[in-house]
Amino acid sequence: MNRTRNKVSLILNYFLLALIASAMFLPFFWLVSASLQTYEEIISIPLTWLPSSPQWSNYWEVLTSPNVKLGLYFKNSFIVSTVITASVLLTSSMAGYALAKLRFPGRDLFFTFTLSTMMFPTFIFLIPVYYILRRFPFLGGNNFLGQGGSGALSSHAGLILPFVVSAWGIFLMRQFMMTIPDDFVDAARIDGASEFRIFTTIIAPLVKPAFVTLGIFQFIGSWNSFLWPLIVTTSAQHLMTLPVGLRMMVTAYSTTTVQNRLFAATVLGIIPTIVIFLALQRHYVKGITLSGIK
Amino acid sequence: MSGLPSESSRRRSVQRTVTGYLFLSPAIVFYLIFLIIPVGMSVYISFRKWNMLVPLSSSTFIGLKNYQDLFRDELFLCAVKNTLIWAIGTVFLGMLIALVIALLILNIRWAPFWRFLVFAPVVTPLVAVARIWGSGIYKTSGGMLNSILAMWQLPPQHWLADSRIALFSIMSVAIWASIGSTVIVFTAGLKGIPDEYYQAAKIDGASPWHEFRHVTLPLLRPTILFLSVTGLIGAWQAFDLVFQMGAGGTQSGVSAVKAIILLNVYLYQTAFQNLRMGRATAGAFVLFLIILCFTFVVLRVLREGGVESYE
Amino acid sequence: MKRALTIALCLLVVMVLATGGTQAAKTRLVLQTHWSDFQLEGVVDENGKLVSKGLRQYVEEYMKLKPDVEIELQSVPMEEYLQKILVSRSAGVSPDIYIIRSLWGVQLEDSGIIESPPPALIEDVKKNYVPAAVEGATINGKIMGIPVEVGNYCLVYNKAHLAEKGYKAPPNTWDEMVDMASKLTVRDKTGAITRYGFSFLAGWDSAVVHPFLGLLWDMGGEYLSPDYKKSLLNSPEGIKALEAELELFRTGGTDISGSVWEFPQQKVSMIIMASWYENSLKQGLGADYEKVVGVAPIPKVNKNINAMYTFFATVDSGSRHKKEAWDFLAWFTAEETANKTTRLGDLMVETIGSVPARKTDLENHPKDLQDLYTKTFIDELKNAKHEPNMAQAAEINTILMQEIVEAWHGSKTAKQALDDATKKINAILAEYY
Repeated sequence: MNRTRNKVSLILNYFLLALIASAMFLPFFWLVSASLQTYEEIISIPLTWLPSSPQWSNYWEVLTSPNVKLGLYFKNSFIVSTVITASVLLTSSMAGYALAKLRFPGRDLFFTFTLSTMMFPTFIFLIPVYYILRRFPFLGGNNFLGQGGSGALSSHAGLILPFVVSAWGIFLMRQFMMTIPDDFVDAARIDGASEFRIFTTIIAPLVKPAFVTLGIFQFIGSWNSFLWPLIVTTSAQHLMTLPVGLRMMVTAYSTTTVQNRLFAATVLGIIPTIVIFLALQRHYVKGITLSGIK
Repeated sequence: MSGLPSESSRRRSVQRTVTGYLFLSPAIVFYLIFLIIPVGMSVYISFRKWNMLVPLSSSTFIGLKNYQDLFRDELFLCAVKNTLIWAIGTVFLGMLIALVIALLILNIRWAPFWRFLVFAPVVTPLVAVARIWGSGIYKTSGGMLNSILAMWQLPPQHWLADSRIALFSIMSVAIWASIGSTVIVFTAGLKGIPDEYYQAAKIDGASPWHEFRHVTLPLLRPTILFLSVTGLIGAWQAFDLVFQMGAGGTQSGVSAVKAIILLNVYLYQTAFQNLRMGRATAGAFVLFLIILCFTFVVLRVLREGGVESYE
Repeated sequence: MKRALTIALCLLVVMVLATGGTQAAKTRLVLQTHWSDFQLEGVVDENGKLVSKGLRQYVEEYMKLKPDVEIELQSVPMEEYLQKILVSRSAGVSPDIYIIRSLWGVQLEDSGIIESPPPALIEDVKKNYVPAAVEGATINGKIMGIPVEVGNYCLVYNKAHLAEKGYKAPPNTWDEMVDMASKLTVRDKTGAITRYGFSFLAGWDSAVVHPFLGLLWDMGGEYLSPDYKKSLLNSPEGIKALEAELELFRTGGTDISGSVWEFPQQKVSMIIMASWYENSLKQGLGADYEKVVGVAPIPKVNKNINAMYTFFATVDSGSRHKKEAWDFLAWFTAEETANKTTRLGDLMVETIGSVPARKTDLENHPKDLQDLYTKTFIDELKNAKHEPNMAQAAEINTILMQEIVEAWHGSKTAKQALDDATKKINAILAEYY
């Protein structure tokens, strides 16, 4: 009797797994298939599951079209995401160290403050930050009072600066560093090492998994971020990132007969983040498991 | 002689304070420029009538009118209602499904493959997600879902155009797109439960359900708390998907229809299409208050079972 | 680790310091437009040969003529256009030349963003453009730009579909169209529509509002009171107009998923469409174009009338090169070439497939303007009525669109929808008039 019950639950397990697998996989399958179809196949009823002959030219047309600057979008997304990730890793680990391993007045207040900033809706900052960036001194033709030019808005800085610190990153780093025994740090202090030295030579190597986790998290988050780039790039099209660029293509092409190119572009837009995750997924999962968010 | 140790310990404490703030300085400078000053400016804007085409200094002060107007605006109230449904639905339903998936794939062969499968949508830009679902799965004529319905002789649905189901259609996409990270956090939580607890339950002859109910669930409480708080904060600010899927696919103007408008979309349109910066900013503060209340309620409810804070 | 941190820090500093603001020696003008794709780049045949010139080719011609001027084109989707003006203005990087909808004129004029053309150009506009377009470019009583494009609406139908069901002519009255739409609709055995008898244009405010305004005026109703103080939408005529649209949903001639964009794939038999769709139809239908496309006046209830809108070109008041900007516009829109047409007229007619607003352009493009598609639109211009240019027009039209869509979806009756629209619109008008 027990065995039949086991069997039933096993079959149920496999049924559920198959359901999950198809729900997760089919949409991607459709996208890739659509990107290789002709326009007639895309709009045909019933649905075309597989193209009769794969139209690789869709990809070629997207990559060579003068209107679609996919290369530019990639470059911008890459620059912006890389710099944001690097600076978030730096600022988060510094703040995380102070919050986890140093004792000083105001520390807990700052931590509470950091956590509470997560609750502020982006929209509260949107318009003021836009103005602040425009008045940023020494950038984009501005003088030291922030007048005369378009400030940080005409360069990648406009897409980067508002994100160089992440409350989430500080939280993650602090949680992780809390798990490192104080003895390590104290021993080094007795040896006369400076806090900066302890931070760079002892703590930093120990929190590598957290760096990887936060790094992937931040990179993918920045790569996919949409609302802020949408606003900044309306006045600076040369800064358009991939999600915004893809959306421009959607609005330009969705009513035309070259939708198949759009799907090809979408596939190309998905590849970088998928590759990064594939390559680093082991570290990512380990990082989450270790970081004490549980 | 007796003053010396306290003198040196005071110097040490001053030094520690300085070092501490030195480490915090990038964050503090950042918060000053990109948080505190902007919030101040936003408070100011929220009391004024300003269309952003003229300098802020030539806008007019109108007191609390922006806040009053919000609550008289039917569309705003719809947005609050929809966002409430959205937040609760995507977060809690998402967590339920994620927990089932996490349990299913916990001790399975090829676990990385399964993790990748559920996580792939998380790393996909939402523009692409919106595209896949909007013009592939949910398309009324020739879309995947309606094709499947047709196989079973069922009538087609207007997944995105029918105001009764559009919000739920988009919510399903949101769950699909975010479930991977929830699964991974749950997996971490489940792996963190010591084996002894399960062995003890086995010895007591507990059924799998009993085991889940009395061992797994209580020990997952901190994970659930974490996911609820962060999930709700994010869900209240959902924007991309609804903005891009709209009620017909591609045009953002349509996403304003009452059935699916969310708070952030409302704010965006109020600010950038209707040029009412004051009202939009006021709305952002209302949204902040809502998030604040929700966070407190969730912390309260979930902590009652003895969940520790993040220490 | 230390090295990695140092590198990260350096990278950060470099990135932050890198700015894009190099000064160009030439006079640089930025022209912002809602045109995109072939409208900018020209139409190219299969062999990559340019068949008809896009805006870019004209701009290049001008830059050759005036080597010290450099013109950059920026294309912005319609629905983000106003936002773009706003954001660019705030960023201090406004374009120099705009091609904008007259509908936004009041806001832009009130806020001092756009300026009147030089007197010579104003005289030219008054003398040489069709009166409706002059009306469109008139904001708060002043001419604020050069009319570039006028648009109106006609019924576009699939001749083959109509013939298939035995119809020899397009519908003449609204009731006939409702009847035909339900008979032209094709469903599969599950009841799903595989071919629509009729589809409404939707997706942005004017798409929904313009065809409705046509019906409203046809019924003898009005949008706003003459002093712009009140909305008159919930008059009996207004309700009848919306009911007439709803009739198409009730009788199964269309549903809420219908899309005009599937007309080129012959999945829709009738649409009410604007003049600018010609080239998309030609591209989408290819060799079938002549066989398929028919154009007729919008079926009437009482009288033939259709809504009209204007785009005009104007210059930003904060531009550093206003004179050069107006010089370019004068060359582009007012200077006549050998055929007694303007370059803008050629672009409108030959590439964009839309209707120019200058009288000489209307007269001297016989071949293109008398063709299958555009001819009816031009004939119908005499029955066209310009949409009102009021303050907060985008917001007001969006409200009307939302309420109409609610009625389409059946979540409100026509009366409820228009009552609600009137109430909300009146509240906005009260702020400005």
